[in-house]
Amino acid sequence: MSENGRPTVLLVDDEEMVLNSIKSFFAIEADYNLLTYTSPEKALEDLEANHNQIDLVISDYLMPEMDGISFLAKVKEKVPLAPRILLTGYADKENAIKAINEIGLYQYVEKPWDNEELKLIVRNGIEKVNLLQELQRKIYEVDRAHRELSDVQTDILRIFA
Amino acid sequence: MIHRNREAKLRAQSIQSEKMAALGLLVAGVAHEINTPIGAIHSNNDIMSRALTKIRKMVGPARDKEIARLLDIMAEVCGNNEIATDRIMKIVRSLKNFARLDEAERKRVHIHEGIESTLTLIQHQLKKRIRVVKQFGEIPEIECHPNQLNQVFMNVLVNAAQAIKERGEITVRTRREGNSIKISITDNGVGIPSKNLSKVFDPGFTTKGVGVGTGLGLSICYKIIHDHHGTIEAESSPRGTTFTISLPIHAT
Repeated sequence: MSENGRPTVLLVDDEEMVLNSIKSFFAIEADYNLLTYTSPEKALEDLEANHNQIDLVISDYLMPEMDGISFLAKVKEKVPLAPRILLTGYADKENAIKAINEIGLYQYVEKPWDNEELKLIVRNGIEKVNLLQELQRKIYEVDRAHRELSDVQTDILRIFA
Repeated sequence: MIHRNREAKLRAQSIQSEKMAALGLLVAGVAHEINTPIGAIHSNNDIMSRALTKIRKMVGPARDKEIARLLDIMAEVCGNNEIATDRIMKIVRSLKNFARLDEAERKRVHIHEGIESTLTLIQHQLKKRIRVVKQFGEIPEIECHPNQLNQVFMNVLVNAAQAIKERGEITVRTRREGNSIKISITDNGVGIPSKNLSKVFDPGFTTKGVGVGTGLGLSICYKIIHDHHGTIEAESSPRGTTFTISLPIHAT
């Protein structure tokens, strides 16, 4: 979670008009820190520079530089917890279904997309990533407590040895 | 002489098939290109209407009559835009479904989908003039080349529409018969004279005159259905024509 508790969403589509439309929609219907890119390469560069601070990623499928599945696979390497959503045209549906298994796609949304559906999918994705992040924190805490405990145990053993 | 004539007709048929394939590519390309901008417009219109609802709530019952009037006009325009974009999206979907370029190989599909898409695409030829009655039976999916079969439906349906001079009706029936499915398309138009009925599937035969029909439509339908191991037959009287297509459920 970044930017004063607002979830950060990364959105990539080579069409500026798609980015603008989704950006305007979230501006009135949600409270996300939305990062938009027409270039997947640039998005990856910036992601690296910003220490991979994103909670969810949405990508178009058909883009000139790199297809959406390759892009999402690279994002997965950097931020495995962030749910990945693919935007697809009708003809790419079969690719999208393949991607569900290949890169662990969270959801795919068909273009022309429905705003309400997109809103729900993103909201659920954010909820999921929040839970995962929380779980990761708890596991870390349990781990640390466990380590401290075994340190204490070693100390006790050393005293009585 | 007859032999050479037949050869020329077959060549014309193959050129026409290639033309149809090229047209399919073009259609799919155009549909794909329209998809993104129409998606953006559709979404933007939805955003405007949501913003408008929010403004109405903030303003409350508008005291200023002019503001109230303008808000009403905006809401109406948004509603209208939604109907318009929905219609474009439906047509684009039908074009994509009709061309089905993603499925060049044989595929199991439900042919009702193809018939529905085709009907959407020829809507402008039917207008309010022709009523379409669908009597769809319980039929299983069949293994076929969906884009080719759609071309057959298109051809037969357009012929049916052209046979109806003023007002009329086209009935599309589907049913299962043993190991095949039957699709019949009936119009109550002018009918085909019996001397022509035996020639309708011949390449080059047309009654529509130069520039209207290519005279190849039904001959290509015949070839496509034949390639699917099916049959296509025509029956006609002065009260109308029925084309019956029979297709095996399992490809052999």
